[in-house]
Amino acid sequence: MSDVVFGLDTFGDVPEDDAGKLVSYAQAIRQVVDEAVLADQVGVDAIALGEHHRPEYAVSTPETVLAAIAARTERIRLGSGVTVLSSDDPVRVFQRFATVDALSNGRAEVILGRGSFTESFPLFGYSLRDYDVLFEEKIELFAKLLEEKPVTWSGTMRAPLEDADVFPKTESGHLTTWVGVGGSPQSVIRAAHYGLPLMLAIIGGAPERFAPYIDLYKQAAEAAGTVAHPVGMHSPGFIADTDEEALELFYPRFKVIRDRIGALRGWGPLRREEFDAEVSHGSMYVGSAETVARRIASSVEKLGVGRFDLIYTSGTMPASARMKAVELYGTEVVPMVRDILAGRAAA
Amino acid sequence: MTGTFELGLNSFGEVATDATGRVLSDAETVRLLVEEAKLAESVGLDVFSVGEHYREGHNDSASPVLLAAIATATERIKLGTSVTVLSTNDPVRLYHEFSTLDAVSNGRAQLILGRASATESFPLFGYNLADYEQLFEEKLDLFMRLQREESVTWSGSVRAPLTEQALHPRMREGGIPTWIGVGGSPESVVRAARYGLPLMLAIIGGQPQRFAGHVELYKRALEQFGNPAQPVGQHSLGLIADTDEEARETWWRYWEPVVRQISAERGFYAPSRERFDMELEGGALFVGSPETVANKIALVARDLQLDRFDLKYDIMHLPREARARTIELLGSEVAPRVQELLAKEAANV
Repeated sequence: MSDVVFGLDTFGDVPEDDAGKLVSYAQAIRQVVDEAVLADQVGVDAIALGEHHRPEYAVSTPETVLAAIAARTERIRLGSGVTVLSSDDPVRVFQRFATVDALSNGRAEVILGRGSFTESFPLFGYSLRDYDVLFEEKIELFAKLLEEKPVTWSGTMRAPLEDADVFPKTESGHLTTWVGVGGSPQSVIRAAHYGLPLMLAIIGGAPERFAPYIDLYKQAAEAAGTVAHPVGMHSPGFIADTDEEALELFYPRFKVIRDRIGALRGWGPLRREEFDAEVSHGSMYVGSAETVARRIASSVEKLGVGRFDLIYTSGTMPASARMKAVELYGTEVVPMVRDILAGRAAA
Repeated sequence: MTGTFELGLNSFGEVATDATGRVLSDAETVRLLVEEAKLAESVGLDVFSVGEHYREGHNDSASPVLLAAIATATERIKLGTSVTVLSTNDPVRLYHEFSTLDAVSNGRAQLILGRASATESFPLFGYNLADYEQLFEEKLDLFMRLQREESVTWSGSVRAPLTEQALHPRMREGGIPTWIGVGGSPESVVRAARYGLPLMLAIIGGQPQRFAGHVELYKRALEQFGNPAQPVGQHSLGLIADTDEEARETWWRYWEPVVRQISAERGFYAPSRERFDMELEGGALFVGSPETVANKIALVARDLQLDRFDLKYDIMHLPREARARTIELLGSEVAPRVQELLAKEAANV
């Protein structure tokens, strides 16, 4: 199990400075670049940036930020989490990520999703009524583009292509591509159908409840005659020197964003008991390095995943505390999880 | 002229060869661009810009992504495009990309918007060439409003409407320097003046001085629209080597096959040695020794009242060593000489 990949994910939440004031968008973007550089230095395997179109988040074009990171890092994998393919153009997405792949010597990975947020639909002129067909058609086209040969394709959601060749080509001949899934079995089957690895967004509840999705993915891959790749999961959390400090930094800020988004989705306000339950046995990995490491190791073991990404920003956590969390993740959490998984330490 | 004269480099992401004649892969060429931009900065050039093309051998299809990597590999050089094909891009997505680029470069982003002389992007992204003019007009209107207003309500025929839409990440106040690239259409010149945007003249053949009328038209139009004076630039192709002869022979070897192909596709003139000599003499090719190229740039800068000159330095399969030499010489020898000639010119006025 020592080959488990450990990543960090962010949507580029606009952080506070040490005086508690929100930084500018430009500063928030540079903060993400600095955190990725630090993550690379402390041995984190991957970083993934989400695409959002809301005032709380500074990252709307993950690949542009990833390119900036590429030039300052050596080893870390550069992903999106997720690219909202439904409201984007597959040809452009391929071109942008193939460019990141070139810039980073093959470290790009695109994670395609339908998005749990819906702001991009009206913004780019798409109808939510077409939510399913948009993704279905566009992933079909994207899968063809991944072959890196001239593409002939037609559908209802985009102009047809006839023998269209798209550049730049990748060095490996294959752009690493995942499918991000939030809980739709249909999406799991689709990932298996295309032989693409699956990234599960597990943002609440007991992680074990996603075990059936992983089984479904394996079965669907077998039925489709494709390869079932190691499954990845991503969940939110935060790390500080002590459990107490982590909770104090995380909870009030997380509650603000969680309740704001929740109101849009018809959820009630977050109660402290719910939150505490998530932290103790659900999908919030908040605490000291040791606490978080034990919880991650337990989830990785229970689900048998090959990759775990921690969404390390959920709200306006101060920039300095975020840097500290990245450092702790790389220097303490990941080595501890690896030790636990290898049986070198008690879980 | 507005006082300072800028020298820039422009690439269309064309694949290079190495010393052994091996053609670099697309990915190697992408990385070469980052190295070339660093070199351009180290020799003191002002701007590095990339184009946007969708054909084999070109690797600038995702120009903002390329520029973002260059941004964190450099510290001072301005980062732009030449040109961004606005007609087949989405102004909202473009705003996001350039706002992000401006952030990662600490405020060094700029761009040149154009309608493009190559038309590959129209079928690739599902646009009709019949809408060429309207696409540009409407999208320019939207793109400038997104930059200049915080919340935009817009509707048109080429894209979905927006209602009180604010975009994130927000660009710096007032937006980033946005130029209009023109190939010769007087309507485009007037449009740039109407929006009060700087003008980049793409002069890729013939006598540059024939654009003097465009420049006059632009300045008059700016005044009539009540807009302040704006810089004018020229983009042309060229190569600099230690001697005129070396530069000319190298250029001809790689330029001839490219022009032969394009002339067949677009019905341009076929390349001939005679035509080549004319372009070198009084035309739009800036090929030669540092002295020759500097003199030529200073001359057009005077005749067209230029504030900026961008040299497009890559041609398909040109060896990377020759590309690097052009960049070095442009920064270390041509730039100071041009500044000196322009200073003399100013003193004589």
